[in-house]
Amino acid sequence: MLVRLLAAGIIGLVLSAAVLIAGSEAQDSRDLIESKESLYNNIYVYRQGPYYSMTFGYNRTIYTESIYNSLDDRDLPVVYTRFMTASLMYAKNVNSILEIGFGGGRTAWYLHRFLPQVPVTSVELDPAIVELSHKYFGIKDEPNFQVVNRDGRIFLGNSKDRYDIILIDAYRGPFVPFHLLTKEFYQIVKDHLADGGVVAQNIEPSTMLFDSAAKTINAVFPQVDFYVAEGNVVTIAYDGPPRSNDDLDRVARERDSAYNLHYSLHDMLAQRRQTPIQGGNVIDPKAKVLTDDFAPVEALKAIEAHNRKWQ
Amino acid sequence: MAITTASRLLAISIFFNAFVVGGVLMGFEMLGSRYLFPYFGGGIGTWASLISTVLCALSIGYFAGGAFVDRYHSARIIAGAILLAAIYLALVPATADPVMANILKSIGDGPAAILLASAALLLIPLSLLGTFSPVAVGLLTRSAEKSGGVAGLVYGVSTIGNVAGTLITTFMLIPTIGSRSITYLYAVALAVCAGILFLSIRKKSL
Repeated sequence: MLVRLLAAGIIGLVLSAAVLIAGSEAQDSRDLIESKESLYNNIYVYRQGPYYSMTFGYNRTIYTESIYNSLDDRDLPVVYTRFMTASLMYAKNVNSILEIGFGGGRTAWYLHRFLPQVPVTSVELDPAIVELSHKYFGIKDEPNFQVVNRDGRIFLGNSKDRYDIILIDAYRGPFVPFHLLTKEFYQIVKDHLADGGVVAQNIEPSTMLFDSAAKTINAVFPQVDFYVAEGNVVTIAYDGPPRSNDDLDRVARERDSAYNLHYSLHDMLAQRRQTPIQGGNVIDPKAKVLTDDFAPVEALKAIEAHNRKWQ
Repeated sequence: MAITTASRLLAISIFFNAFVVGGVLMGFEMLGSRYLFPYFGGGIGTWASLISTVLCALSIGYFAGGAFVDRYHSARIIAGAILLAAIYLALVPATADPVMANILKSIGDGPAAILLASAALLLIPLSLLGTFSPVAVGLLTRSAEKSGGVAGLVYGVSTIGNVAGTLITTFMLIPTIGSRSITYLYAVALAVCAGILFLSIRKKSL
């Protein structure tokens, strides 16, 4: 009797496991085309129709992806990456662009494609990611387009160059390098901005890390604008007095036509939020500025922030 | 056949020390990452350098501790070593940044530079702390037959200290008080440990 019960139990377990496995496979209609274990990441490249995506793990919900539409070079399927280009209407001049965190490389390539005369440099820690971006994400070696293999902070610390636009998107999924989120780091970034330069950064807003990150950026840059984009927030930070909508719109229209951009800066401007960081309803007033000494990024990321009310 | 007779007080203070020293040792390894990342990045290379430096320091400490305790059979060796480590840690917060910046400037950010930076930060204090376990085993061992039990007890307590130090530093201290304050806290904890050891030697009934 006992043996029979045990046997029935085992068969039941095996069957339910089989159903579970089949179920999870049915949900995922992407084809895994390459996986690679690098010094820094476990990288998975998937294809679904014309779309190639890069993830750093099997858990789709926590690993942000880079997506490339192989049929349209101008497409930026990941919505927040479009708003990273909103920085184009803030910069006084557009003569040099730096990106920290290359990933699939689509944002940098979009800028290179529409502004081929402007040198675009992107810094990526993981050489395997750069290799896969060339293999699957339409990245090519071209003049004025350079990818450097380095930690972003070390690169900037050793560089004497100044940039009109610096884009920061160096943390993916659950991995947040604290040294790229501190006041000291943003000071280094600021020191590498040309006159009238701007910094755009992607921040995931669902946890308390967002509040601290926003306050930290604001500790170095007096002006921080927000662009809310499907699960992510892009901040655009700059020095000096606040820019008026009219002023930005004038530049936006000018550059929209000059560069023939696929995603109109003028349209993006409608999404601009000048949410106050101090005393507002969006950023927790108790959030602390992160420093090299105190930057508990993992602990902050574990605290969920509910009902962020963007005005 | 008793080889040595440690008083009960000394034995208790040695086990207390085993726990706290073990805790500070691993806690400072975790903290080492906070000092190194801003200069050398947060990759697996930095972790490998940190871990290998800690293990190097421990092996130096084990060799030295073992050699010393056979020659000078006294708890003063470890009390002194712990006090020196406390002084070293107390100097770290004020000096770490210029040292790291200099290494970055002169050698760069390759494996040699990260190893050198880890060594500058960890090698001396952790070698000093590494002498603790073999000396403690030497002092507590009353007979050759019981040496296995003593060694097991000392390493067991110190390893539980390691676990506590790793977890408390990572999940409680780093999120609340900042790396420099934690380093000072460790220095104070070690100084207290050394003090307790010195005091229990004096009161030893031998």
